[in-house]
Amino acid sequence: MLPENITAIVARNEHWAGSAASEPYEAGWAHEAVFFVRALKEPTGSQPKVRVEISPDGMHWIAEGTEAAMPAHKDQIAGLRVKHFGGWLRIAADFDADATSAVLVTLHLKA
Amino acid sequence: MTQTTKEMTEAMRLAMLHANPKLSRFDPLPRIISHDEFANGHCGWSQLVGNYQDDLDTMLPGYAQHTSAMLSTLPHWDAGSHGGMGSSYALKIATRPRVGAQNAAIKRHTFRHRGRIRFEAYFTFKPEARELKLSETDVRSVGFLFDLQSGDTDKGGERVMPHLRFLNALDGRHIQKWQFKQRTTEFHPMGGDKIMSHYHLAPEGWEDLPGGDQRLCYNEIATKINWTYLCFDFDLDAMKALSFRCNDREFDLSTFDSIRIPAMKNLWCMLNFVLFAETDTDKRAFLYVDSICISGDF
Repeated sequence: MLPENITAIVARNEHWAGSAASEPYEAGWAHEAVFFVRALKEPTGSQPKVRVEISPDGMHWIAEGTEAAMPAHKDQIAGLRVKHFGGWLRIAADFDADATSAVLVTLHLKA
Repeated sequence: MTQTTKEMTEAMRLAMLHANPKLSRFDPLPRIISHDEFANGHCGWSQLVGNYQDDLDTMLPGYAQHTSAMLSTLPHWDAGSHGGMGSSYALKIATRPRVGAQNAAIKRHTFRHRGRIRFEAYFTFKPEARELKLSETDVRSVGFLFDLQSGDTDKGGERVMPHLRFLNALDGRHIQKWQFKQRTTEFHPMGGDKIMSHYHLAPEGWEDLPGGDQRLCYNEIATKINWTYLCFDFDLDAMKALSFRCNDREFDLSTFDSIRIPAMKNLWCMLNFVLFAETDTDKRAFLYVDSICISGDF
């Protein structure tokens, strides 16, 4: 049997502002993960960095160390690759008061 | 007494079924359409995405909240991975942490025979274990539905959507009863006459199944689970529910009916299965499914 690989849509057309994060995703079966973040509309304000976070339980989170600049314009994408993450994954970003972005966040996992 | 070929075939089928440790826990009809064990991946249980045209903002809010199902070992902060019945993995459908939030997963087929089909599953549900409390009223409901449409040459074609949910709690009250639904919400054209959208999982319109009260095994704290069996039979010819069982209880379907709407222009012979969960608090609700067997009498 071919090894499992899936694409999960973890945020679709969500308007991120303030402290934003994708919903927790269980990925303990996967050996590698790539997040893509696409700006579906023209972002407003200064765009922050987006970071990968890991968790022991899906409730308490720490930065994994991988980060990228949020897309600066509509239809630009950011990519974040991770190889060593335990059982849970999400991405998070902290926006300035006047900044927002409507995002599509996809997670690509391979066993 | 001489056995007919039909009787011998059935006896052999049952003997092989009962000797198969993966299938023996089910009672499938003669033809297995799919047997889903989630150590084999998602098995086609994908995100129920809403319809849209030109702009994702046109998607109805009920659908916009949906996210992708996960392959879960039921990992708990205090006791580690719980695992499934026959492997480490179960399908997990998680809501967002907002009162009334829902999520769903869908498996999309078409049918080739109008007759009896059977949907069997082992499932459980729990809230996210954020508090060191009983939390038994945090999950509002879990349930399933079929989304069916007649064939393209059938007279008086209909789209038929039988729904059943276990209403566990509502506004903090522990309810614990099975309900069905015959009404959907308003149809919204998304563009032309071939893309419509209606949110059939809206909270309105649920009706009690007669004698549908049932106390399931919750098991005391938010991080212990027990698997529960359900079995629903439906006739694709008469488009009528035939039977419904959950664990040791067989329920009366004499008042049951489905949502029935005129046939849509591009859904012929549709045979979709949906699982869903809904939270009653600002805490994620989790529906876990260990395995599913869908079978038909053909």
